[in-house]
Amino acid sequence: MQRKENETPQGQAASVLVEFLEVAITAVVFLKGVYPSGAFERRRYMNVVVQRARHPQLRYYIHATVSGLLPFLQKLTVNQSYGSSVEGVDLQISLRSFLAKLSVSESLTKKLPPDCRWEITGNFQLLPETGTSKEANFWIPTDTKQWEQPLFITPIRSMSSDPLCLQFYIEHPSLSESSVLREGNSEL
Amino acid sequence: MDSRLSNSSSSNHHSNSKKRKKNATANNANQKTLGVAWGSKSLSASCSSRKSPFSDFSSYMAHKNCKLQNQFDSEASASAARNTIFSGVSIFVDGFTVPSSQELRGYMLKYGGRFENYFSRHCVTHIICSNLPDSKVKNIRAFSAGLPVVKPTWILDSIAANRLLSWVPYQLEQVASNQPKLSAFFTLKSSKMSEDTSTNALCQVEPDVEDSFPRVGQLKERHPSEAGEMVEVCRQISNESNDISSKKTDVFMMEEPISERVICDEEKLAEANSSETNNERNTEGELDPTYQEPSTSVSIPCSDNQNVHQFPSSEATGSSKQCHSTLTDPNFVENYFKNSRLHFIGTWRQRYRKRFPTLSTGLNNGISNSNKSDINSVILHVDMDCFFVSVVIRDKPALLDKPVAVCHSNNSKGTSEISSANYPARSYGIRAGMFVRDAKALCPHLVTFPYNFEAYEEVADQFYSILHRHCNKVQAVSCDEAFLDFTDAMVEDPELLASSIRKEIYETTRCTASAGIGGNMLMARIATRTAKPNGQCYITPERVDDHLNQLPVDALPGIGYVLQEKLKKQSVHTCGQLRMISKNSLQKEYGMKTGEMLWNYSRGIDYRSVGIIQECKSIGADVNWGVRFRDMKDCEHFLINLCKEVSLRLQCCGVQGRTFTLKIKKRRKDADEPAKFMGCGDCENLTHSVTIPLATENVEILQRIVKQLLGCFYIDVKEIRGIGLHVSRLENADTSKQGTEKYTLKSWLTSGSASVKKQKYHMGHNKHNSDCANCASSHGCIHSQGSSFQIDNKILNIHVSGDPISTPPPLCQLDVEVIRNLPSEVFSELNEIYGGKLIDFIAKGKGKCESSSSLGNSLEDDAAICKEEDLPYSDPIPLNQIFSENKAMQHERVLGSGHGSCSQVTHNSNIERDDLLPSSLSQIDASVLQQIPEDLKAVILEHLPAHRAQAFCSTPAICPGRINQDSVGVDTSKNCPGTVNHALNDSLRAGNLPSWMDKFKDSSCLRKLREIYHRSGFNSQLSSVLPQFLSEFHHLDLTQEIYDETVNIMCELLKQYVKVKIERDIEEIYICFRLLKRFAVKSQFFSRVYNDIFPFLQAAVDDNYGGSLFMP
Repeated sequence: MQRKENETPQGQAASVLVEFLEVAITAVVFLKGVYPSGAFERRRYMNVVVQRARHPQLRYYIHATVSGLLPFLQKLTVNQSYGSSVEGVDLQISLRSFLAKLSVSESLTKKLPPDCRWEITGNFQLLPETGTSKEANFWIPTDTKQWEQPLFITPIRSMSSDPLCLQFYIEHPSLSESSVLREGNSEL
Repeated sequence: MDSRLSNSSSSNHHSNSKKRKKNATANNANQKTLGVAWGSKSLSASCSSRKSPFSDFSSYMAHKNCKLQNQFDSEASASAARNTIFSGVSIFVDGFTVPSSQELRGYMLKYGGRFENYFSRHCVTHIICSNLPDSKVKNIRAFSAGLPVVKPTWILDSIAANRLLSWVPYQLEQVASNQPKLSAFFTLKSSKMSEDTSTNALCQVEPDVEDSFPRVGQLKERHPSEAGEMVEVCRQISNESNDISSKKTDVFMMEEPISERVICDEEKLAEANSSETNNERNTEGELDPTYQEPSTSVSIPCSDNQNVHQFPSSEATGSSKQCHSTLTDPNFVENYFKNSRLHFIGTWRQRYRKRFPTLSTGLNNGISNSNKSDINSVILHVDMDCFFVSVVIRDKPALLDKPVAVCHSNNSKGTSEISSANYPARSYGIRAGMFVRDAKALCPHLVTFPYNFEAYEEVADQFYSILHRHCNKVQAVSCDEAFLDFTDAMVEDPELLASSIRKEIYETTRCTASAGIGGNMLMARIATRTAKPNGQCYITPERVDDHLNQLPVDALPGIGYVLQEKLKKQSVHTCGQLRMISKNSLQKEYGMKTGEMLWNYSRGIDYRSVGIIQECKSIGADVNWGVRFRDMKDCEHFLINLCKEVSLRLQCCGVQGRTFTLKIKKRRKDADEPAKFMGCGDCENLTHSVTIPLATENVEILQRIVKQLLGCFYIDVKEIRGIGLHVSRLENADTSKQGTEKYTLKSWLTSGSASVKKQKYHMGHNKHNSDCANCASSHGCIHSQGSSFQIDNKILNIHVSGDPISTPPPLCQLDVEVIRNLPSEVFSELNEIYGGKLIDFIAKGKGKCESSSSLGNSLEDDAAICKEEDLPYSDPIPLNQIFSENKAMQHERVLGSGHGSCSQVTHNSNIERDDLLPSSLSQIDASVLQQIPEDLKAVILEHLPAHRAQAFCSTPAICPGRINQDSVGVDTSKNCPGTVNHALNDSLRAGNLPSWMDKFKDSSCLRKLREIYHRSGFNSQLSSVLPQFLSEFHHLDLTQEIYDETVNIMCELLKQYVKVKIERDIEEIYICFRLLKRFAVKSQFFSRVYNDIFPFLQAAVDDNYGGSLFMP
C-alpha cells in the first residue's frame, strides 16, 4: 500500500478508493457466500479485519477490474482546485466505517442460492473519455438493462468527504430474490 | 628508527606494493598452521615479558633469549660488512615467508638489523609475515602489540635500494585494507599521526587504538596523560635535536598548524618506538642521517625547530582537526562547512552581496541602459592568480617560487585533494583535484598548507573594494574573479587602467592578479587565460579572430570534458576548426543551446552583459565526505545539524522554500572502501522530495520534513556515504513573513471591516497556513477548519454559478471596481455565471460592497465553524445544509427586492453590521463555541465585546437579529398562505438546522421539535433528533386548526431535507424515513406526514438512483 508521494490529492483519493473498492467487493463476495468461506483468508486493511480471496484468479479478477476503474475515477475529478492532502487519513477513517458496516449489514449477509453468478459492473452517469489507457480497456461498455422490474434500494452507508462522496447501497429486484450490491460514487 | 627516512620514498613504492598484494594472497592456504604456531609463541612471549607465575619458565626463556641474542651478535660482528641499512630494525618472522625466516635472519645479520626468535614487544620493531589468519587480523592488537606487520619483500626491496624504505607500502594488506573504524581513528588525537606524518604509524597505532579503546569516552580519558607524556618526550628530543637542526632555515613554516601537528605526531612516534626500550640515544642517532638527507620533506626540520615553542598550541590544533567523521564529531556538519572550500566559494556570494548591497543593485540599473551590442564596449576580466595559495603565502615571500599547494591534509600518503597549487607547483604537473600523495610523488618537496578562510575573506573583500572603486559595473564571478564593464566609463587606454588596478590589488593584498580585456565577457576571459600568471592581455576586436584561431576548444567557457571529447571525435581541437562547422549541424549535434553557444563562442561572440546576477533557485547543503553512521540515532543527529545549516543559509539569503529534496549517496553493494580517505566512493544517488504548501525556513519544520523524507528511503544508515538537503521553490522571506503575521487568528479578528476583502483571502490562507504548520502536530481543529473552509467555498461557488465545472470566486471576493470596469461582453458573461447577481452586486456601490463581502465572509466563516462543530461526529452531511444556507442567504440578500420588506429588513441589518467578528459570531450558536478548543475560544472571546461574549457563554439563546428575522419570516407565512412554502423554503435553507428549527417556535407542535433539538446539543442531523421528537410527539395534543398547518410544515421540512440529502446521503434519509415509518404506526399525525411525503421521497430516489427506496 505504498502510494506515490507526488500524486495529486485527487489521484491519491482515487487510488485509495480503488483500493477500498477491491476490499469491499471481496467482502461482498465473501458475505454473499458465493464461494465457500475457505476460499478467503483474513487480512487487515485500515485496521479492520477483512477477507481476501485465496484463489489467485479471483483475486486478480477483482483487482484488475477495479484498478481498471482508476483512469475513470481520475477523470471524474472535476475540481482541480482542491489542494490539501489532509483528507488522506480522514478518507481512510470514513472508508473504514463502510467496511465495518458491511459485515453487519443484514441484507448482505443473506446467503444466495447455489449456482449463482456474479460480475462487477460500473455505471457512469456520463462516461468520461479515458484515452487509450491500457487498464481502462478492461471495461467494456454495455447497454444491458439489468432489472426488468422496478428495483429497490437499501442504503448501507453514505459518506461525503472532500474529494469524493461515496454511497453504498444495495439494489435488489424484489424482497426475496437475489440482490445486487451497488456502490455509487461521484466525485466532486 | 627507520621511519624518518621513509618520507621521500614512500609514495614511489606505493605502486609496487599493489602488485605484491596479489602474490601474497596466493599463500593464503598456509594460514592456519601458521596461526597455531604463532599462538604458542605469543603465549610464551607474553609470559616472558611480564611477571608470570611460572617464574622458572620465564627465567628459562630470558636465559634462552639472552643466549640467542648473544649468538646473533657474535654472528653479526663476524660478518664484517658493516652495512647499516637496518640499524635499529629488529624483526620477528611469523610463520612461512618467502624468503624463509632463516634467509631473512641472514639479511638482518648482514645489514645491521636484529632478528628475534621470540616475539617481545620490547625488542621487536617489525613483524614480518606473508599472511595472517582471520582471527589475528580481527584482533590485530593482540597479535602485533601495535607493531607494524610487514611483508618480507620490504626487506628485499630495502636491500635492493640500499636504504631503508618505508614499510608502509609493504604492510600486510590484510591489515592495511582492514580500514579501521573511524571512531577510534578520530577520537584519539595522537593516532592522527598515522595520517599526517611521515613516520607512518598507521598500521601499528590504529589497530591498537581500536581494540583497546573502542569507546570514545575511554579514549578521552586516556588522552591527557598521554599528551603529557608526549610533551615531555618531545621536549627532550627536540632539545637534543635543536643544535643539529639549527642550521635549517625554514622559518616561514613556523606558524603553520600542520607542521606543528607533524611535530607532535612525530615525537609521539619516537616515543612509541623508543621510549619503552629506553633508547633515547638511538633515536638521536637516527635523527642525524635524516637531516642530512636532501630530499626530506620541509616540514620535518621546521617542526624540529619549532616544537619547543609551539607544542602546546599544536596539541590544540591537533585535537580540533581530528574530528572528521559524523561518527565522533557532534558538530560535524558545522565543522565540515567551516573547513569546506566549496562551501566558502558557494557562500561567498552571499557575503559579497551583503557587503556591497548598493553596488550590486546600482549596477542592475546600469544594465537596462546599456546597449548590449555596443561595438566599443570594454570588458575587463580580473582574476587572482592561484588565489587559495597566494593568499596563504602572501606573508611568506620565501615560498614565492617554491611549489606550494593548499589542501586539507599534509599527509604524504593522504587522499586529501589539492585544491589549488601555485605556478611553480603546476610546473611539476600538480593540478587541482589531485590527491596529495600523487602530488607529493610528482614533487616531493611540495609544501602544503591548510585553508585559511579568514584570510580568503579578507583578501576577497579588499579585492572587491578595489574593483568597485574603479568601476560601477562589477559582476562578481567568484571570490577571486570578476568582470568589469568600462564601456560607459569611456576609458582611453584600457591597458593602463588594467595595470593600475592590478597594481593596486597587489599593493593592497600582496597577491597578484591577472587581467584580460576584450570586447565582451568571453574575450575578456580568454584574454585573462593568456595573461596568466600575473599579467594582462588586451584582445582588440581586430585580433579576436587571430587569437581564437589557435585556441583549443576547451579554453572556451562552457566546454567541459564531455563536450570536448565529443568535439575531438569530430576532430575539432581548436576554435578555428570549430568555426568550419555550420551552426545548423552544431545545433543538430549538440542541441539548440549548446550548438548556438559553440557557434558564437568560436567566433568570439558573447551576448551576455556584465552585471546580471542570477537569483539562486535552490539553497542547500551537501555533505559527501566523512559521512558514516552507526545507527539511526547518528543519522538523525546529523540531519538535525544539516537542517540547522540549511536553515541558516536560507535565513542568510532571506528566503524560504517550499520544496525540500533529500539526496542520499548510498554505497554500492560491490563498492570497496573509497580511494579517497573518508570519501563517498562509488555510490548510488537517491533522492526524495516533498513540497509543502507554505514556504518555510523554520528549523523544526525542516527537521520534521527531513525525517519523513529519510523514512522514504528505506535505507540502512550504515550504507549512507553522503547526504544533501536542498530547498527550492524559494520565496522571499520578507513578503511571506508579512503574510504569516496577518494570517494569525488574532490579527484576523482584530482587523476592521475595511480590509474585509483582504481578510477573506487571508482567512483561507490562515487555515492553509496553519494546516501546513501543524501538519505533523495534528491540531485537529485547525485542520478541520482549513478543510471545511475550502469545501464550503467550493460548494458555494458551484451552486451559485449553477455550473459545477467552473468555479468562480464567490461574489464577496469580487472587487466592485474591477467588475465595473470590465468590458461589457465579459461582464455579461460573468453575470451569467453568477446567475445575474452581479448587477445587483455592482449596484450596491462601494460602501455596501464592503459590508456585503463582510457578510459573505461571515457566512463562510459561520459555515466553517458549523462544519467544525460537526466534525467531532465525523459526519460530513451537514455540508449540504451549510451550503444551501449560504446560497439562500446570499440569494436573499442579493435579490432583496423579491421578498419585499421582510427580506429588506434582514438585508439592512446585515449591512449595518460593520464589525466583522461579532456579526459572524452572532449568527452562530453557543454550541459552536463550546466545540471550539479552549485556546481558540479564549482568543475569540477576548475579542468579543463583553456583553456579547456573555450571551454566548450562558445559554443557547437566539440572538436578537435572528429572532427578528425569524419572526418576520413567520409573519409572512401566516399573513399570506400562498407564499408560505416559499418563505419556509427560503428560511429552511437559509439556516442550518438550528435556524430552521427556530421557525417552529410559533407553531406549537413543532416547538417541541425545536426544544428537543436544542436539548440534543445542536446536532444538525435530523436523524439524530427525530427519534426523541417522535417519541415525545404524541404526548402533545394538537388542535385541529393548526394540525393541518403543522403537517404541511413538517412535510415541507422533510422535503427540504430530502432534497438536500438525496444526492449525497441516502443513508441519512433512509434512517429518517424508517423512523418516521415506525412512528406512523403509532401516530396519526406521522402516518399522515409519512403518506404525504413518501411519494415525493420515492420520486426523488428514482430520479437520482433509478429505483425506489426499499422500506422494510
